[in-house]
Amino acid sequence: MDKKHIRNFSIIAHIDHGKSTLADRILELTGAVDSHDMQDQLLDSMDLERERGITIKLNAVELSYKYNNEEYQLHLIDTPGHVDFSYEVSRSLAACEGAILIIDAAQGIEAQTLANFYLALNNDLTIIPVINKIDLPNADIPKRMDELVNVLGFREDEVLKCSAKTGEGVKEILDAIVERINPPKEDEGTATKAMIFDSYFDPYRGVIASIRLFEGEIKKGDTIKLMATNKDYQIVDIGVNTPKRKSMDKLVSGQVGWVDASIKTIETIKVGDTITTLRAKANEPLPGYQPMKPMVYSGLFPIEPNKFEALKEALEKLKLNDASLSFEPETSEALGFGFRCGFLGLLHMDVIEERIRREFDLDIIATSPSVIYEVTLNGGEEIIVDSPSKMPDRTQIKEIREPFISTNIFVPSEYIGAIMELCQDKRGIYKSIEYINAQRVNIHYDLPLSEIVYDFFDRLKSSTKGYASFDYEFIGYQAQDLVKMDILINGETVDALSMIVHKDFAYERGKKIVGDLKQIIPRQLFIVPLQASIGNKVIARETISQMRKNVLAKCYGGDISRKRKLLEKQKEGKKKMKTIGRVELPPEAFLAVLKTDKS
Amino acid sequence: MKSVYIHIPFCSRICAYCDFCKVLHIDTFVDDYLEALKDEILNSYEGERIETIYIGGGTPSCLTKKERVKLFRILEIFKRSPDCEYTFECNPNDIDEYLLDDLCAGGVNRISIGVESFNEENLNILERDSNFKDLKNKIELIRNRGIDNINLDLMYAIPGEKLGVLKKDLNKLIKLQPTHISTYSLMIEDHTKLKIEGKEYISEDLDRKMYDTINKVLKSHGFKHYEVSNFALEGFESKHNMNYWSNGEYYGFGLGASGFKAGFRYTNTRNLHEYIAGNLRVENNLMSYKDQMDNEIMLGLRKLEGINVDDFFEKYNTNIQDVYPVKDLMRTKELIYHDGYLKIPEDKIYVMNEILVKLL
Repeated sequence: MDKKHIRNFSIIAHIDHGKSTLADRILELTGAVDSHDMQDQLLDSMDLERERGITIKLNAVELSYKYNNEEYQLHLIDTPGHVDFSYEVSRSLAACEGAILIIDAAQGIEAQTLANFYLALNNDLTIIPVINKIDLPNADIPKRMDELVNVLGFREDEVLKCSAKTGEGVKEILDAIVERINPPKEDEGTATKAMIFDSYFDPYRGVIASIRLFEGEIKKGDTIKLMATNKDYQIVDIGVNTPKRKSMDKLVSGQVGWVDASIKTIETIKVGDTITTLRAKANEPLPGYQPMKPMVYSGLFPIEPNKFEALKEALEKLKLNDASLSFEPETSEALGFGFRCGFLGLLHMDVIEERIRREFDLDIIATSPSVIYEVTLNGGEEIIVDSPSKMPDRTQIKEIREPFISTNIFVPSEYIGAIMELCQDKRGIYKSIEYINAQRVNIHYDLPLSEIVYDFFDRLKSSTKGYASFDYEFIGYQAQDLVKMDILINGETVDALSMIVHKDFAYERGKKIVGDLKQIIPRQLFIVPLQASIGNKVIARETISQMRKNVLAKCYGGDISRKRKLLEKQKEGKKKMKTIGRVELPPEAFLAVLKTDKS
Repeated sequence: MKSVYIHIPFCSRICAYCDFCKVLHIDTFVDDYLEALKDEILNSYEGERIETIYIGGGTPSCLTKKERVKLFRILEIFKRSPDCEYTFECNPNDIDEYLLDDLCAGGVNRISIGVESFNEENLNILERDSNFKDLKNKIELIRNRGIDNINLDLMYAIPGEKLGVLKKDLNKLIKLQPTHISTYSLMIEDHTKLKIEGKEYISEDLDRKMYDTINKVLKSHGFKHYEVSNFALEGFESKHNMNYWSNGEYYGFGLGASGFKAGFRYTNTRNLHEYIAGNLRVENNLMSYKDQMDNEIMLGLRKLEGINVDDFFEKYNTNIQDVYPVKDLMRTKELIYHDGYLKIPEDKIYVMNEILVKLL
C-alpha cells in the first residue's frame, strides 16, 4: 500500500457525544465487523470503559475503504474523552494527520469539545467537524452550525451531519476522511522511525507497543532499538488490529500497528519514545512529547499489610498501560506501607483505584487526594510537598504556594448565578463570561486546584442539574494563607487524614470532617473523641458514644450453626477495618475529608 | 447424649416476627407428621437415659387432644431419668384443663409460656394476644396440677416501645411468680412480616437501657442472670438450654430441627412434604476439633459464670489460652478469670460479639 492510500485519524468529542458509537458504525461500514457480531461500542474493551461510557485506553484499528474505485487503508486511533486524559489524547493525535470532531446536535459545544479542538489544532491536524445525533427530536442543527462557525471558526460548508446511531451520513464522513485528510508525509531520509503511542501488557506475550511508523519499515525478525532507553530487542511478531489481531510480515511508513519484541520488564517501554531498527538506524528520535505531570496525589494502602507486594505489582502493570500514572513507596503511621500515587486528575484516580480493586482483587484504602504545594522555608530553602503529612511545622514556613487552574465551565445561562456562588465558595477569582449563544455561556474563573479536588464536581453537578460541563488548565502557583489541619482520633493524630486548608476555611472544614467521621466510624467498646486541630489548637470536636449492643440475643439448639456463620460474617467485616491505636476504622473513613453535604 | 428436642411446627396463626420453622395447623398433615417423627426417633434414638426433653415449636399446644395423645405415646419411646426436665411450650390461649391432663399424664414437669408482652400496642405489632388476668388464672391451674417450674417469655425492643412499657410488662410478669424468665430483644428477621413491612429497630441506646432495666428489676426480685437473655430463681435454670450452652450433644427431632450427635451437627429439612417422605437431613457437618472448641467458646461465654477452664482442658486436652488470645482480652478487661472460670464481665455481655470475633 503506497502512502497516498493511507489515512490516519482520530475521533475527538466531549463525553457522550457519540464517539464510540461512530467508531462502531465506521467499523461496520468498512466491513471490519459484521453487524451481527457487533457488540455495542467495540473499541471500549475494558469493563470499566463500558460501564462509565468513557474510553480510557487507546485502540487502533486498520480498516479498508473503497473510494472512487480505489482501495484506501484507514487507521482509526481511538482517544479518551475526558479532560484527565488529555495527555493520552495528544499522544494519539500525534500519530494522526486528521481528526473528526463530533458535536452532539442537542447539546452543542461543551468543555471538552473545546479542549480537544485545541489539542488537534496544536498538532496541526485537519479537523472534520461533524454534528452527530441529528435523529434526536431535540436536535438543533442551525444552532450547532452557528456555534461551529462562530466559536470554533469553521466554514458552514465544512460541517458534516450524521446520526451514528442510525448510520445516516457516516459514509460521507468516510469520504471526507479520504478527501480532506492528508496522507502521511513522504520519508525524508532512509532511517526507520516509529513512535510508541501506547503500550499494554499481554500475560502471554509480554509488552506490546502500539506504534505509528513515520519513516522506513519494521519487519518481523528485525532488531529494534528503543531510543530513550538505548536497548535492543528482536521483533517476534508485528501486525495490525482489524480489530482482531492480525500478524503481518512488516509495517511500513505511514502505518499504525503493534510490535511484540518479547519485552518482559514493564519499565522498558516509554510511551512517546522512538523505535528505530539496526538495519536503518536513526540518529535523532522523533520529537517526543512532554509527559504530563500528575496534578493530584493520593496514598494507596493495602488493607491487609501482607498485600504490599501485590499492590506494587498491580501498580506496575497498570503503569504499563498508563504512562501518566506515577507512584513511589510511602509509609504512614496509621496505614503502614503503601504508595504515594500521582494522577492526572480525579477521574484518573478513580479509574486506577477501581481497576486495582476489580482487576487485581485487592482491598485498598485510598487517602484523600492532595495537590502539590511549593513551600519556601524561613531559611529561603524551597521544597515540594505532595502529601499533607510531609508539610513541615508551620513555624519553619515562610510561604506556601498552591496550584491554580483556569476554568471553562459551559452551562445554560440561567445557572450563571449558581456557578458564581460555587466558585466564590471555592476561593475562585472571577475572570470573564463568554456567550456561546443566547442561552449558553462559558464561564472563566481562576481556582485553586485543591478546591476542585474537594467536592467541586459533585456540587457543580447538583447546582446545575447536570447541565454543566467543565474543563480546566493549569496556570501556575500562587501564594495563599494555608495551614495544615490534623485529625485526632482517640487522642492520636492520624497522619493519613491530615490536610492543607485555607486558614479562613479551616474551622468549617474541621467541623464538617469530625462530623462526617462520627457518622462513618462505628461505635467502639469505649468512648472515642474526634478532634480537628491546627498545631496544638483544637478547632472542632465530636464524640462517638460507646457501643451499647452487639450480641446474638438468643441462641438455642437450632441456631448454633447459623449464629456461628453470623459471627464469621462479623469477623470478615472486621478484616476490612484498619486499627489505629485501639480504634477500628472502616476504609471510607479515610475519604471522609472528601464528603460533601451541600449536594 | 442426654437431651432431646422435639419440634412441633404447627401454629393456629402466624406471628409477625416469627422466623422459626412453622406452618398453619392443618389436620391432614399432623397425623402424617407425627408418623414421620416417630420413624425419625426410632431410627436414631440409641436407648440411653434422657435427662431433658423440650417440646417446642411452632406451637405444640395447638395440637388437638387426639394428636396430643398420639404425640405423648410416641415420646414414651424415650427412657427418662427420674429427674428428667420435661418442658412443653404453650401459647397462653391454649392452656386449659384438657391440655394439662395430657401434659401431666405424659410426664411434663416444666411449662414455657410465650407471653411476650401485655401491652396492647406491642401485641398489635407482634400480632399476638395475651391477657394478664386470664393468664394469672391459667398459671394457677398449672400450679394446681403440681407443675411449679414455669417459664415466661418476654419480648422487648419492639418497634415504638418505650422504657415505661417494658417496666409495666416486667412488673406484671413478676406478679405471676414464674421460676424462669426468657427475654428476647426483638430481631427483625428476613421473610417475616415485620421485615417486609419495613419496621425498624429501636435505638441501640434504648435497647441497652431496656436490657439493663430488665437485669436490675429481675435481680431485685431474686432472679439470677445466668445467660445473656435468661433469668431463673436459684435451682431453676433450664437444664435443657444449659446443655446447649455447654456445647453438649443433643437429639433434635422434627421438621427443621437441629441436633448434635457423635460430633456431627445436623439440620433437618424445613419442607414438610420432604420430611413426611423421610428425606430428613439438609445439613450434616462433622465438627472439627477446632470447630468444637470455637463453639464451646461462643456458647460457653453466653453463660454469666463463663467457661470452666479445667473442664475445657479435660474435654479438649488443650489449655484455652494456648489457642485463643485470652491474655490480650484479659488485659483490656474484656475477659476476666475468677475462681477457675473464664468469663465476660456482666457489663460487656451485651457487646459480647465484639469480644468473640477477637477470640475466634
